[in-house]
Amino acid sequence: MATRRALRTLNHLATRRAHSTSSVSANELSHFSALASSWWDPQGPSRVLHLMNPLRHDFIASCLSDALPPSSTSTTTTTPNTLRYLDIGCGGGIFAESLARSISPPSPTSQTATPTRAAAITAIDPSTTLIQIARDHARRDPTVAAHLRSGRFEYKNCTLEDLITAAPPQQQQQQTSSTSTPTATPPQTYDIVTLFEVLEHIESTPAAGISPQSFLADCLRLVRPGGWLIGSTIARTVPSWLVNQVIAEAPWPIGVVPRGTHEWQKFVNPEEVEAWVQEGLMRAADGRAVRAGAAALEGMRWKCVGVVYFPGFGWKLVPGSESWGNYFWAVRKGV
Amino acid sequence: MRSLVRTATRPYVCPSCHLGRLSARRRFASASTPSSALPEIYDVVCVGGGPAGLGLLAALRATPATSKLKVALVETQDLEKARSWSLDAQHYSNRVSSLTPSSVSFLQKIGVWDHVDAARVQPYQEMQVWDGETGSRITFDWSMETSPFEDLRTVATMTENSNLVRALLSRIAESGDENLSIFSNTTVSSIANGSDIPDGPDLSAWPVLSLAPTTSSSAQPPKQIAARLLVGADGINSPVRRFADISTSGWDYDRHGVVATLSLSDLDPVHSSPNIKTAFQRFLPALGGPIALLPLPNNTASLVWSTTVANAAYLKSLPPRAFIATVNAAFRLSMTDLTYMLRMERPSTTSPTSTDSSSAIDPHEDELTWRLQHTPQPRKPSQLPPLVTGVQEGSVASFPLRFRHASSYISPRVALVGDAAHVIHPLAGQGLNLGLGDVAALAQTVEYAATHGMDAGDLLTLERYAADRFATNAKIGVACDVLHKLYNVPGNGPVAWARSFGLDVIDSVPFVKGLLMRGAQ
Repeated sequence: MATRRALRTLNHLATRRAHSTSSVSANELSHFSALASSWWDPQGPSRVLHLMNPLRHDFIASCLSDALPPSSTSTTTTTPNTLRYLDIGCGGGIFAESLARSISPPSPTSQTATPTRAAAITAIDPSTTLIQIARDHARRDPTVAAHLRSGRFEYKNCTLEDLITAAPPQQQQQQTSSTSTPTATPPQTYDIVTLFEVLEHIESTPAAGISPQSFLADCLRLVRPGGWLIGSTIARTVPSWLVNQVIAEAPWPIGVVPRGTHEWQKFVNPEEVEAWVQEGLMRAADGRAVRAGAAALEGMRWKCVGVVYFPGFGWKLVPGSESWGNYFWAVRKGV
Repeated sequence: MRSLVRTATRPYVCPSCHLGRLSARRRFASASTPSSALPEIYDVVCVGGGPAGLGLLAALRATPATSKLKVALVETQDLEKARSWSLDAQHYSNRVSSLTPSSVSFLQKIGVWDHVDAARVQPYQEMQVWDGETGSRITFDWSMETSPFEDLRTVATMTENSNLVRALLSRIAESGDENLSIFSNTTVSSIANGSDIPDGPDLSAWPVLSLAPTTSSSAQPPKQIAARLLVGADGINSPVRRFADISTSGWDYDRHGVVATLSLSDLDPVHSSPNIKTAFQRFLPALGGPIALLPLPNNTASLVWSTTVANAAYLKSLPPRAFIATVNAAFRLSMTDLTYMLRMERPSTTSPTSTDSSSAIDPHEDELTWRLQHTPQPRKPSQLPPLVTGVQEGSVASFPLRFRHASSYISPRVALVGDAAHVIHPLAGQGLNLGLGDVAALAQTVEYAATHGMDAGDLLTLERYAADRFATNAKIGVACDVLHKLYNVPGNGPVAWARSFGLDVIDSVPFVKGLLMRGAQ
């Protein structure tokens, strides 16, 4: 059943567990485990990834301004910041921690809307090492550490499938008192599910039924109607091959990314992502959906914008460059 | 450029070395630091309550995204005195600054300018700069970009520092006291890294300051505060910079700046339009630097005379009438005459001279009157400042001129602004403007961090600030230094010829001059 294990898995423990049926190759495993210790070094190998992070916030804000997910809690809240986030493949927590920092602490007075409108975030990664690094780093910021203690921010060392099969956690089910068997309850859903720099690391194993497409379909099952699945990845083009494989992974002093970070063959083009998410929505794999087929695409929105890294200046959103290299994409599930 | 250099050097510093260096060096203390208890946690702690530090606070409080941040300011002096500062309309402080239009628009943007006493500021629309050796001259104004139907644009605005500081304080007070702590009369007795608190946050990479009140009466234990971002706005000998172990390089110019508040002759027959105010600056290569007369309201002006230490001491020792005569001479006489006047035997006893000064003939005045008859004067009288007629009592003072530039403006959880980061020659009046530029950039960086989930004290955040300011400040600092050196070559040699040629070219080619003036903003 739980055959599809996601993502970059890094350390030996996780490797053993995910070994037989993982969608992650041994190469990816050993590569990212070597990077683990320098994950948060601003001058380290993950520097380019750190520099991209603020643009993720910009892109999320642009999605929210296009269509805000409908409020889930009909209770009387004084805050417009009600969105619950799920970050899949959080790694060392670069994005998850920054999002947790944007959660404004509860206050008696009415609050102003934050760009991310975040109320809570759950971040998952199958790697024990990386989750530990993420938790240790989060403790270094009292604001984030307070969110960790209060439960508004949570790191889980688990796979996407674990989340889908697991029952919703007790503490977040204050309104319902479901005492039925865990297998019968649908998975907890989120307003925003994020998938940053993950898709290009998924191993396609047709024999085991694993593909980026099935992975995306699973992600969509965790998105509430009206919510967004937001990600970023790299297009499989000649320029992206030159930039990401030849130049970015070149030896010092040209290269900015450690050798072996990317495999160009696994890169995904925007049209492919769009087709896969449509397929995923139409299959209505969450079992509870009333609608299926083409009706599932009603209210769906597709959004895509390229980003380009200019050495010395950083990342810039460049609309139209999505078919060249790095790009952000987002899909909104119909209400 | 800097980030390129950083990228290039990156592989040679392993992360563990980063950490090792960090823990070894981060300490500044004049007393031992105790305590592992949880300190009070602030988002931004600013050490230093001068225009830069207060400007940062005001900017953060005025910006919606950063107005809720928990901020603190620590200042050794009594800020209550600065808040209640007041002088009558005839008297002006000798500590004045020439604010560029971009500084003024920043202060307007953060709502500070409304709190500045407008009757005490003086915009000027024209600047006359000339070489005392060769007579080459350049006139700065915006006439080439202003249509004849509108008023001439402002070159800069003269403001007393006390007026600005008082405005900043009242703007900050206006923002309320929520999430704001101002520790006045308080010194930083130590700064050290915090500790990893069990079942709490790990503050081992956070600066923790121990604060002690300067008033010895209170015997309370030092207060401990931790800073997400520690801002050093604490001047040339910055303790924050020492804590961050940021080196600074530079030199002393072996010159002093003599300042004074002067009153000018009532009639200003030169200018047909009373709305146009002019600043005057004359380079005096034989005396070690330029003399500048900057307009203030009510027919007063501020003097800044950069000169050798010996000359500065001589000027300060002169009785008022002799001082006034020397200042008038400095804008009018030749280098030879001036050098002679600054070597005249000074009046043996100052006090008797000043009491019966009305009757006796002052030797400096006498000398000036006689020598002026034999000195050719510029054809247009508007090229000379009005005559100085008085000097405000107690306003003559001097300060040493220095050049300093920190090797970096940032370190993990530390940023330097203003004089803590850079001290430059005052000949272009850019010191405070650079500080306000730093503050505007740092406030913008903190705002970007707040809206993008970034940690305001993280190096990845702070490098945005450093990238914005380091090169700009270095460029202006070096330009002032070059000007200083160029105008310290006496005589009529090739250097004097070259600088005059350069000045003439700039003055006659509007395009180049416009470029320069925009650059100076």
